[in-house]
Amino acid sequence: MSDTPDDDIGPDPIDAAYAQAETLLADDAARAARRARVLAAVAAAPAPPEVAPVAGLPSRRDGGWRRGGWLAAACVAGLCLFVGIRLYRPIVPEPTAPASAPSSGVPVSITLPPPAKPPAPPNGAETVSAPHVPVTVTAKTAPAPEETDALAAPRDAAPMNVPAAPPLNVAPTYQRPAPLIAPPAEQPAPPPPPQATTEITVTAEKRESSAAMKARGYAADAATADERQASRASGALGGAAPASPVVAAPGQFRAAGIAKPDPGASLRAAAAAGRTADVQALLDEGVPVDAADANGDTALMKSVQADHPAAAAALRRHGANPDRKNHAGESARDMAAGKRDAALGEAIGTAP
Amino acid sequence: MESDQADDAELLRAHIAGDPLAFARLYDRYDRPCFQFIRRLLGPAQADAAEDLHQETWISISKSAADFDPHKAAFAAWLFTIARHKVMDHFRRQKVVPLLSGDDDAAMSVPDPGQTPLDQVMSRELAERVVAAVDALPLEQRGTFVMFAHVGLSLEEIAQATGVAVETAKSRLRYARTRLRAALASERSAHV
Repeated sequence: MSDTPDDDIGPDPIDAAYAQAETLLADDAARAARRARVLAAVAAAPAPPEVAPVAGLPSRRDGGWRRGGWLAAACVAGLCLFVGIRLYRPIVPEPTAPASAPSSGVPVSITLPPPAKPPAPPNGAETVSAPHVPVTVTAKTAPAPEETDALAAPRDAAPMNVPAAPPLNVAPTYQRPAPLIAPPAEQPAPPPPPQATTEITVTAEKRESSAAMKARGYAADAATADERQASRASGALGGAAPASPVVAAPGQFRAAGIAKPDPGASLRAAAAAGRTADVQALLDEGVPVDAADANGDTALMKSVQADHPAAAAALRRHGANPDRKNHAGESARDMAAGKRDAALGEAIGTAP
Repeated sequence: MESDQADDAELLRAHIAGDPLAFARLYDRYDRPCFQFIRRLLGPAQADAAEDLHQETWISISKSAADFDPHKAAFAAWLFTIARHKVMDHFRRQKVVPLLSGDDDAAMSVPDPGQTPLDQVMSRELAERVVAAVDALPLEQRGTFVMFAHVGLSLEEIAQATGVAVETAKSRLRYARTRLRAALASERSAHV
């Protein structure tokens, strides 16, 4: 390897004699054993990409974090359900009174009938029915009414006629193909609002309209309520908002940025650390036994690399494939064969 | 050497990136010279620690792989620097005072005996005598000689690994050779 010219230090027979002596005295068996031990120690040593969990302390890859993740998701779902129930508690609809005064703007009528007796949608109206929460939305181009009547309406009165704060640029009518739950035919349809008025009719038992909130001085809450109404109407008319605000759509949490925990990583970490009880618990929970990491290494390979025959045996009992290969082309069986560990070989199935 | 260096750095980068086989390839390339370097530095009295220090050396290599800069030093020089530090730390822990090369000038007074039987035939017995003669060298001369004769490092790389000037490394190598020749020549005369 010496390529630097050393003026008066050149090759010497004593150098070659020493190199030859070392080669002659080398013990290949001891070298192979040393190699296996050193590489296993290096693999087991904590490294930045794969930090070995400290015993007794839950890590982010541990089952505690995984359970915490589900707990957080369940909390969010429960909160959404609670808010949805509070905002969308349906009651028996009553005919909406026509608006008293016309004004400019886009009229939007939202009617939330009870789940048991949803009203039939009128012609030219869009009906979006989610489980338990049918929603009927009618949009018309007409001027908005004045706020006087709405301001005078009591809080629990139904219906409430309130103006739409920002005008909505929507098509006059939008027909969805068919509702998920067909409303009964005998239910009378709500009377269509007059063409010359703009109204937002929300039938809800305890919902507070923006106008009523404004009347009581809650300006910020009123603005938020208006935004919610506008957003809801837009979504019901084919916008980006979901049809039902109560029931989360599949993948909605993932779209919201809630990270999905990787149970395979927990299993691999437990296998690499030799925590057989954790391995067993994770497998009992249904974690895929052959889940691989970015290098293609499975939990079985991790247990073999770290020389944990008990964990390897537990994985094998749950059907871990010893012949599955990682990206480097090595299988758990190959790794176990290189270890020359009888217990490990027995666990994997390489022992005679 | 240049391509080896490039390969070493690439293997180390692959190891950092998570390639499980890259580190094994790097290890296989330097396992034997690294272990024998540690073993020779330790000497016969501390030979039992060679396995542990060798393992510690490679664990340090793995952990500190991101710190290696191929533009500053060759991988071999870096590896043997770490190995040498491990041995020195072991000596400190064990309170071992190795034979240092303070008597370099005295070594130079030994006449060069010329060719030895080892130059022609190498039997196991002769090999053991050569290794024993190397083990008897002062520590710094021993390390320099092993790195040069067996590992194949250049004098510049040895100087870098041991933290001395190139001239110092060259002197140590020259003294080591002279001592070895004298030791083996005296053995030959004793046997004859």
